[in-house]
Amino acid sequence: MDPVIRTEGLTKTYGSHRGITDVDLAIEPGEAFGFLGPNGAGKTTTIRTLLDHIRPTAGRAFVFGIETTIDPVAIHRRIGYLPGEFTLYDKLTGGQTIEYFANLRGGVDAGYQRQLMDRLDVDPSRKFREYSKGNKQKIGLVVALQHRPDLLILDEPTSGLDPLVQQTFYEVIRETKAEGRTIFLSSHILSEVEKTCDRVAIIREGRLVKVDRVEALRDLAHHQVELRFAGDVPVAAFSGLDGVSEVTTEDHLLRLRLVGSITPLVREASKYELVDFVSREPSLEETFLAQYGRGAVEAAAR
Amino acid sequence: MSAAVSPAGPRSAPAVRRIYGLGSLFGKTMRDSRRAILLVGGILALILVGVSQAIVNQFATPASREELEAVIAAVPPILQGLAGPVVNVGTLGGYMSYKYGTFFPLVASLWSILALSGTLAGEARRGSLEFVAAEPLSRRRVALEKLLGHLVAVGIATLLVFLALLAAGNAATLPGDEIPVGAAAGYAIWLALMALAAGGLAFALAQFFGRGAAVGIAGAVMFGGFILNGYRTAIPPLEPFANLTWFGWTANHIPLVGRFDWPSVVLAGLVAFAFLAIGVEAFVRRDLGATSAIPTPSLPRALVGLHGPAGRTFGNLLPSALAWGLGIGVFGLMIAGSGQQFVDQLVSAPDFRRLLQTVFPNIDVAAVGGFLQLAFTEFGLILAGLAAATLVGAWASDETTGRLEFLLATPLSRRRWVTAGGVGVLAGLVVATVLTAIGIALGATISGDTMATPVVGALVLLLYGGALAGVGVAIAGVFGSRFAAPAVAIITIVTWFLDTLVPALGLPDAARELALTAHYGLPMLGQWDAAGIIVSVGLAVAGVAIGRWGFQRRDLRS
Repeated sequence: MDPVIRTEGLTKTYGSHRGITDVDLAIEPGEAFGFLGPNGAGKTTTIRTLLDHIRPTAGRAFVFGIETTIDPVAIHRRIGYLPGEFTLYDKLTGGQTIEYFANLRGGVDAGYQRQLMDRLDVDPSRKFREYSKGNKQKIGLVVALQHRPDLLILDEPTSGLDPLVQQTFYEVIRETKAEGRTIFLSSHILSEVEKTCDRVAIIREGRLVKVDRVEALRDLAHHQVELRFAGDVPVAAFSGLDGVSEVTTEDHLLRLRLVGSITPLVREASKYELVDFVSREPSLEETFLAQYGRGAVEAAAR
Repeated sequence: MSAAVSPAGPRSAPAVRRIYGLGSLFGKTMRDSRRAILLVGGILALILVGVSQAIVNQFATPASREELEAVIAAVPPILQGLAGPVVNVGTLGGYMSYKYGTFFPLVASLWSILALSGTLAGEARRGSLEFVAAEPLSRRRVALEKLLGHLVAVGIATLLVFLALLAAGNAATLPGDEIPVGAAAGYAIWLALMALAAGGLAFALAQFFGRGAAVGIAGAVMFGGFILNGYRTAIPPLEPFANLTWFGWTANHIPLVGRFDWPSVVLAGLVAFAFLAIGVEAFVRRDLGATSAIPTPSLPRALVGLHGPAGRTFGNLLPSALAWGLGIGVFGLMIAGSGQQFVDQLVSAPDFRRLLQTVFPNIDVAAVGGFLQLAFTEFGLILAGLAAATLVGAWASDETTGRLEFLLATPLSRRRWVTAGGVGVLAGLVVATVLTAIGIALGATISGDTMATPVVGALVLLLYGGALAGVGVAIAGVFGSRFAAPAVAIITIVTWFLDTLVPALGLPDAARELALTAHYGLPMLGQWDAAGIIVSVGLAVAGVAIGRWGFQRRDLRS
């Protein structure tokens, strides 16, 4: 079966500014695909190229086997899209906004539309300009989902949503996937991609650094742990534990990197007199830098 | 105990940057105002210098000045409504006051309204004020620094006007043409205070009702004052209303002819100060960015336009189209409604009637249509052009606000979006034109004259607006939507300059022929020039076609 999304050497530059360079992707039907990267990495540029909102400087992109620059309307008929940043009609109510976009497409199931609005707790009666950021995001989600698209393209979809609505959103995404539809989700939140996606691509400085199963992400997830002891640092007791690496000491301070369960480490630490115990999950940026530093990016460029 | 200041400690911005640049709120306001200062101050100064040169050269003898004075004196008050006072018009200062004296405050006031309504309320809407207000500065200081920046900007612009007046006076050759420093200063100070009164009103209102409502109300008060004051002599019932406006209070302050009325200018200044103080206090005391909506009737559901892109464009810009239509319509109503008074005044001024008949041999000056052609068309066309700019801007906001990201992710093609925009904007112009025609029809009925010809003549607004809208759509498609509305506004102003200033400056007629408005014939009298109609329709259609073509070839702006 042909990929739903396929790009070949997709490149976009803005004058002298980098956009994306040589992006090659293939996303299969029914797949939930995460697109991870720090701010400014090129996620939105890639998405806007897939939608033909911007044109590639080089390379090509195909969605449903259609080249994006040849017949974008045929592609748009089958997709639902939520931009990363958007504004809609200030003077229309949320309900009118949803209705307008339903009319632009035609054939939207009013029952499903209503169900989505209820599940996401959308108040359709208020003017768009009066909504909070999170409520605007909900309107955008309903617009993107209401016609049950074959392909959902979501750019940072949970931005501004409260945790309860986020959970509902994840449920909807899981249902969408269960129905065999394809999802392309851009995010810089590791856990979000982990929860929703099968495969993930990591983009950094405009280049794809890695494309892999989402399980590979879990290998990226780790903790930076700092233990301050009252007495000498028992280095040997910790460096032999499962998942522990990059062990360093400084006076009474022990630093290490831990992948996997933290329980054995806590159990071991409880045997000693501790002054302080700090465990921190690094940011995505730090994770990327640790795992795919500049060298990896340069290698990808070659 | 005092702490030693570390050389690596916090640094304050250099003094220069605090005055102009990103070193302070004041400096940034000055930096943001630089183009407006040059545009408003520079253009007004250039007009003053250019026109004064033309007057000095074309009316170089005392005899020619007497003729000029006689011609202007013969113009009935009803026709002088939008011009300044007729005092010593045989002198350079008198002519300047007559021709541009009351028009310049409109331009300066418009700038002040747009700037002061946006300086806090506009920033609050964009969200940048949240950051500014989180800085270690009191709210009062934030407001005062921004306000001071605008006051200085207005001061610089009016200083340019002051210098231009002195230069014009120095270049004069006939006795009486001199413009003393006191006279130039009197005019410049009046100009600045008129602008600040209007801007101050917008500033105060914006803290309560937001930027859009503030611009609308302050703009209406300013234009209302200008028109009421202009027609107070011709239409005596307007007198009490004119006296409520700062245009009315300062009507006897004509410094360029040596007539000063400082108490009225001080009153205008006090009102401006009061508005500004209210604005500052409201900003200090109210919740940041909290505004109250002025209740306005909602559009009927059928007009909201939820069924397609053309309908949505139309529904989105319909409130603007209605506002423009009502404004131009009321203007048409006033002019057409006073047509009979004009005809009556012509009967008592046979010399002027003969003069008009000589200058405009094809115009039946004794008909309401003739009066409309003389008094309505020029200003009406400027308003139609600005209406087109506003409506094109409303359509273009799909892209400038980012809505188009969503819209073009539906099965809506780029070509269809452009076409729908063109259709929506034209439909908006039709609404504005119909309202104008209704105003003219009512006015003609009041005057007891035939209404059919001037009502059809109102179509000239649709033709001109449609042509400019076509240009705007083409520019939006090819270069980007954000350029469309400013380009249409600039073309409107340049066209007006070509049509009115080219003859005044004695430039070749070929330059005036570049103005589309010079090619419509006399529509209010039923005499149409086919060239203007064809070019207008062509620009409207071709503009949309070019817009469709261009938008296919460029990236969507995010």
